[in-house]
Amino acid sequence: MKLIPHGLLLRSLIASILVVLVAGMGSLAYTVHATSEQTRQRAVVRFDQLLHTVERTLQAACFVKDEGLASEIALGLLGNSEVFEVRIIESGRELAASRRQGPAAGSDGSPLALQRAIHSPFEPARIIGEIHLVADPQVIAAEISAQVRLAAVQVGWQLFFVAASVAGAMLLFVARPIASMSNRLHGMDPVSGERLAIPPGHANTEIGRLANDVNQLADRLVVALQEERSLHRQREVDERKYHAIFDNAETGIFIIDRSGTVISANPAFHRELNLPPSDAPAGGLRLLDLPWETLTPLTPLIEGPFVDDTAHAGDVCLHDAGGQRRWLNMVLSPIGDGLLQGVVHDVSTLKEAEALARRQAITDPLTGLANRHGIEQRLRDGVASLAQGQSSGLALVMVDLDGFSKVNEGIGLPAGDEVLRVVTSRLLSCVKESDTVARLAADIFVVMLQNVSRSATALKVVGRIVNLLRQPYLVEGSPIVLHASIGIALAPNDGEDVPTLLRHAELAVDKAKAAGGDTHVFFDPTLSRIAEHRRQLEKDLRQALHKEEFVLFYQPVVDLHARRLVGAEALIRWRHPERGLVSPDAFIPLAEQTGIIDEIGLWVFDSVCRQISAWRAAGHDYRISFNVSGRQIPDGLSPEILAETLRRYAVPPQSIALEITEGVLLADVDQARAWLDAAHGLGMRVYLDDFGTGYSSLSYLKRFPVDTLKVDKSFVLDMHDDGNERTLVEAIIAMGRSLGLDVVAEGVESAAHADLLRHMGCHYAQGYHFARPLPVAEFEAAAGHIAAQLAPAAAR
Amino acid sequence: MRLQRCLLALALSLFATAARAELVVAVDTRLGITRLSREEVVNIFLGRYRKLPSGQAAMPIDQPTSSPLRKEFYRRLVGKDLSEINAYWARLIFSGKTSPPMQTENTEDVGPLIQAIPGGIGYLERSQLTPDLRVVLEMAP
Repeated sequence: MKLIPHGLLLRSLIASILVVLVAGMGSLAYTVHATSEQTRQRAVVRFDQLLHTVERTLQAACFVKDEGLASEIALGLLGNSEVFEVRIIESGRELAASRRQGPAAGSDGSPLALQRAIHSPFEPARIIGEIHLVADPQVIAAEISAQVRLAAVQVGWQLFFVAASVAGAMLLFVARPIASMSNRLHGMDPVSGERLAIPPGHANTEIGRLANDVNQLADRLVVALQEERSLHRQREVDERKYHAIFDNAETGIFIIDRSGTVISANPAFHRELNLPPSDAPAGGLRLLDLPWETLTPLTPLIEGPFVDDTAHAGDVCLHDAGGQRRWLNMVLSPIGDGLLQGVVHDVSTLKEAEALARRQAITDPLTGLANRHGIEQRLRDGVASLAQGQSSGLALVMVDLDGFSKVNEGIGLPAGDEVLRVVTSRLLSCVKESDTVARLAADIFVVMLQNVSRSATALKVVGRIVNLLRQPYLVEGSPIVLHASIGIALAPNDGEDVPTLLRHAELAVDKAKAAGGDTHVFFDPTLSRIAEHRRQLEKDLRQALHKEEFVLFYQPVVDLHARRLVGAEALIRWRHPERGLVSPDAFIPLAEQTGIIDEIGLWVFDSVCRQISAWRAAGHDYRISFNVSGRQIPDGLSPEILAETLRRYAVPPQSIALEITEGVLLADVDQARAWLDAAHGLGMRVYLDDFGTGYSSLSYLKRFPVDTLKVDKSFVLDMHDDGNERTLVEAIIAMGRSLGLDVVAEGVESAAHADLLRHMGCHYAQGYHFARPLPVAEFEAAAGHIAAQLAPAAAR
Repeated sequence: MRLQRCLLALALSLFATAARAELVVAVDTRLGITRLSREEVVNIFLGRYRKLPSGQAAMPIDQPTSSPLRKEFYRRLVGKDLSEINAYWARLIFSGKTSPPMQTENTEDVGPLIQAIPGGIGYLERSQLTPDLRVVLEMAP
């Protein structure tokens, strides 16, 4: 065991020696101090004892101021070896003084000096003098040094033993175990499982814990080392894997710098860009030097990621060696350090498919013409060039084949398609190359004429179209003749945007159709206004029912012979919030076209039943008739609903009369007849309205369950004494009677007419002569008035 | 028995006499001193300062050794036994500078001696006073 410089042993030795020295010095200093103090105190005690022996003599000497006696005492005191000097003082006067021969006292710091008072022998409280004793410093010092030497020797021995034992313990318990552990650590291989042995006897000491800690640290290090190794291995595997992916990827992967120079690229990159395969990294190859169709999309693609630090993607077109165009999709992402990582793959097939789909999206498959999307696109282009002044005008000619649905229904769809193909070829032959023909819907075509600024020019083309389309079509050997309704809108006059132009052309077509077809109509702003008006009306109409804007007016019907009120015709009115009372002529046709008539019809029937029920409750047995539109037959006002409503209001069916026109009967004979039979079967009456204005076919009267004829008011109004109308009315009445039908004359406006009709044998009449159509509230009053009006006639 | 009772009675009477004795310190009236303090008396009798206030040397006169008055005087003056007084003088006699007061043979001699010796001062029972003597301090028991 050698002493290592700066080693623990040396350090602890030095430390303990230093501590021992300091402690020794301290102890010695204390001993010196304490000993001298003790020595002085002992000397004082001895002096006091000495003084005590001569106290009384001293008192007496002082009392009588006996100098001789005092000197004697002083000399006696000096006989003590410790006493150096004696002085006896009486009341401030020196009575005796005596000192030993030798070195002067006080040369050695503060010599021990003692002063005691001398009391009177007869009055102990009274001080009559004092005695001063000075000790011999040499004697005191000698005693002190003897004591100190003894103490120093003792302390020295004690401290020596303490230092020696501390050093020994350090050596035994600390330095040696640490040195042995250190030696062991120098040659230890923790990976092979070697560990520190705990020095014997140190299982529970700090040394033992240190050894354990070192061993645990070694364990953790070994584990960490193993993990690190396996991670490293895993990383190598991963790297090989990614390298394989990079090399075998079908997609071109590459890295370029800011100038577009390729730093690294995989084989697929060379394939995709049609470059010769190269083993070496594609150094020096600049992306921008490749034979691109245009650099326009590529340059921003490379610049972009550097600007906003995000990936940019785009399609670029490459001309390969064979002159083929190759579309490539390229995605460039920034990867830092001024580099971009790129992915490129061939999207040529996709591009072609896309182009095809785009073409198909705007093409009508049947005719090969542009479809709605196509024509809208062309129109947009046309309108745009118009706005830029590159074109003088556009004409939009919309061709709607009249009655084409009959061809489809009658001959079959394939035949219809064949006709459409022929129409297409005829239309195409009418226009220039720059014009466009499109098919909007089944039988609606659009011809867009470029550079047409005047309607006359358009009209010439329209004339050709009309002529050609009128030519017969040979379908399965038999000729078919078709004609068309044509609407024309001109840009920019009739509209400057695509939707407006198409809508205006459509309005013009509607107008042509409404005029019976086989004609052409130029768009006119009034068409637009009418359409707008109609649209508004339709909107209001749809809400009118919910807003309860409809009311029923009742026009009284009187029995001319019995001279009494027998019922009324219910007439619908629309209390429009802005237009006021709207007559049915203004909205019923629209309601019929839009189908709203069904809802209105149900409401009318419901209201009529409720009113009859109310009147019956009030004691009036009126029969109410109301008009039924052809559109309501058979489903809008089905017999089931009729029966159910009658039941609900407990209204007798014969109180209800359904007024129908000849038109209803003409439309679909079988359907109308079935419905009428059902309604009639329920017990309701059937009135044939406006009789005399149409065909007035007598056969209908036999085939349909008609109960009553209503003579149109136009005849009654014009009924003169010997006019045709009077004869006609007379004939109708006579015919009705002979067929067993009742007759109601409408439009009776004068008493003369009423009388005349009565004479003719007409049963019933209605008209302003009796009452105009009235709201329910006024009906009661009118009933009274009519009763009064009829009464004089009854008296006549 | 009878004798013992007599002795006891005698002792008691003696004691009573001494205790009840009216001790006074006196000087010759001719000295013209009317009053002395106890301290002055102590200084004169115990050798510290043997001069009268007038400056004349004082000559203290002690009662005979056997006299109960002597014992009573020192007891009353300094609270000491005669043995103590004797020890005191024994120490001082050694150097010879100061001597104890002159001692009379008989109690009766004290009065005449006071008058006879210049500056004489002594103590005695009041009953023994003569007109020539002046009381300068009354020694209350």
